[in-house]
Amino acid sequence: MIKQIGLSGVKVNILIMNSLLPITLVLIYTGFAIAEPKFASLENLYNILRQSSYLIMLATAQMIVLITRGFDLSVGSVISMISVSISLVMVRFLQQNPYAVVWAIGLGCLMGLIVGLAVGSFNGACISFLGVNPFVTTLGMLGIGEGFATTLSGGFPISGLPNILTYILSKSYVLGIPAPVILCMAVLTVIYFILNHTILGRSFYIIGSNRKAAYVAGLSTRFNLFFAYVLCSLITAIVAISLTARLGSGEPALGGGLMMQSLMAAIIGGVSLNGGQGHILHCVIGGLFVTVLSNGMNMTNVDSYIQMIVLGIALIAAVFVDGYRRRIR
Amino acid sequence: MSKKVIVHSIKFQKFISSELFAITAFLVGISIFFGMYEPKFLNVTNWYNIFRSSCYLILVASGQMVALIIGGFDLSVGSVMALTSFTTATIMVKIYNSLPNLVVLSLAGGMITGILSGMAVGFVNGLCIAILNVSPFIVTLGTMSLVSGIALYATTGIPIYGMPNIFNRILSTERLFMLPALFYLTAGIIALIWVFLRLTKTGRYFYAIGGNIHAAHVSGISVKYIIIIAYTLCSLMASLSGIFLTARLNSGEATMGAPFMLNSIAAAVLGGVRIGGGVGHIEWVVIGALIITVLSNGMNLMRIESKIQTIFVGLLLIGAVALERLRRRGIYGGTDHQ
Repeated sequence: MIKQIGLSGVKVNILIMNSLLPITLVLIYTGFAIAEPKFASLENLYNILRQSSYLIMLATAQMIVLITRGFDLSVGSVISMISVSISLVMVRFLQQNPYAVVWAIGLGCLMGLIVGLAVGSFNGACISFLGVNPFVTTLGMLGIGEGFATTLSGGFPISGLPNILTYILSKSYVLGIPAPVILCMAVLTVIYFILNHTILGRSFYIIGSNRKAAYVAGLSTRFNLFFAYVLCSLITAIVAISLTARLGSGEPALGGGLMMQSLMAAIIGGVSLNGGQGHILHCVIGGLFVTVLSNGMNMTNVDSYIQMIVLGIALIAAVFVDGYRRRIR
Repeated sequence: MSKKVIVHSIKFQKFISSELFAITAFLVGISIFFGMYEPKFLNVTNWYNIFRSSCYLILVASGQMVALIIGGFDLSVGSVMALTSFTTATIMVKIYNSLPNLVVLSLAGGMITGILSGMAVGFVNGLCIAILNVSPFIVTLGTMSLVSGIALYATTGIPIYGMPNIFNRILSTERLFMLPALFYLTAGIIALIWVFLRLTKTGRYFYAIGGNIHAAHVSGISVKYIIIIAYTLCSLMASLSGIFLTARLNSGEATMGAPFMLNSIAAAVLGGVRIGGGVGHIEWVVIGALIITVLSNGMNLMRIESKIQTIFVGLLLIGAVALERLRRRGIYGGTDHQ
């Protein structure tokens, strides 16, 4: 109906589409707040901020590869794998040198980043240089990561991590802002800079919207695509380290639902599955949305299986909206 | 005379360099390897076991193949199996308890409900993908979460017991001429799919759509309708496999299908089905599924932890596609940008 007005109608439509998500977010937030007064407490707001910062970072990782018209199914199992491997490194190192806590933490974090780098290089090399479909590559990586995580840990959580790790990366505050939120903001700033102010970042968008054109224009599409996956896995590694710090143990099942949640956050936020589109703010709002939804359902004691159903429906609904958005443009 | 020999040798060379030869050789190779390493592997009982347990993967993988041929894929196959297992077992137990004399009715009722519930999921998948023209990836990921949520919530994760014994006997333990009855049943179903894909119009349309969806549309194929049929067929195969697995376990389990998502795609891709659509032979997919089953059976016999097996399946999946890409690049030369 609005469309018939003409150009201004299209603009109005886009405006409606863009404000749809924030409005829904506010509605859901007030809905949960009415249903459960504890949900609206300041303490829970901090909790939501802290929880969402992990998801926002992960959604950003996912966004980078989504922009290049790929996706990464392996983020969840890679997080489990990194969590287990850095915990093993730290615990083993502390057993031999009980007082070198700082060294242990440094070594663990380094290990996590190296594993992330290795995974990203593997994914990127398979996808860009060998030309294997991102779906196949990252699905294979999902199996590989899951296998490593459960075999290395034997299926049990690895405890005995230094408390100070949890303190630094999860419990401390800087200027009244929780540490994970600071970390998230730092990562987002770097990624914003890379995506918008470097040739590498801009090339992701070009590759995603038209790979042949990017190639003809003289971009080395293969190298750029390779770096997109490396960047994605590096952020995944950072998330894995900080999640491990938060729990204070290495968990082989840490990444279980994160693959789906990260994709969901990015797509609900407005990152296109067809490549070439995506902004940091999309991930922020999408991550907040998914976190508010799952936190609210937890606070109102919704069964965890029902939560799976709701998240599945939300994902499909997001694609509906994405399809509609594309049709307007 | 000499011409004939030349023709034969060219045919032979073509066969040697074909994918079919490569995967068959791989299957034989790993069988010999496991046989040398662990003599138990070559026992008749073990092969009986391999044939029986490969049936489940063969069915799911051939369904997956149909989704791959039209240029999509289906991540929800595992959860469809779980849902089918739950609905089949629930209905069967309910009917069996209220009418203990009518075993046939309870069997038929349970299986039909299971198949219908599975097909409903496929129908919804197809509807979302075809009508909205969105990525099958997200739709099936969403239904995966949705459907397994439903199955888990309904059963609260507890297995459902109390189905008639004959269900387990017919579909799992019964033997005919040395081989499990299930094997013949699977062979029959695969033959039907073969005929469907080769000889019916709809089957040929699958390939046409996977090869070039726009061309298919322009040449008058009702693309949307065919896509819905393909996803429904894919879920139908998954739910058949779910029913057979329920019979083997003799209980309805909502946690059943998880490994089948990765394994079915790996089996199909090993069998030469091209991601992106248009290419796929069901008889090769059967070999692909056999490879995965032999691999996991052999590793079990070698006492390798089951989770390490997923590492191998993942590597195999990537390796198979990478090799295929390299080979094609070798044939056609140059770079390919899609």
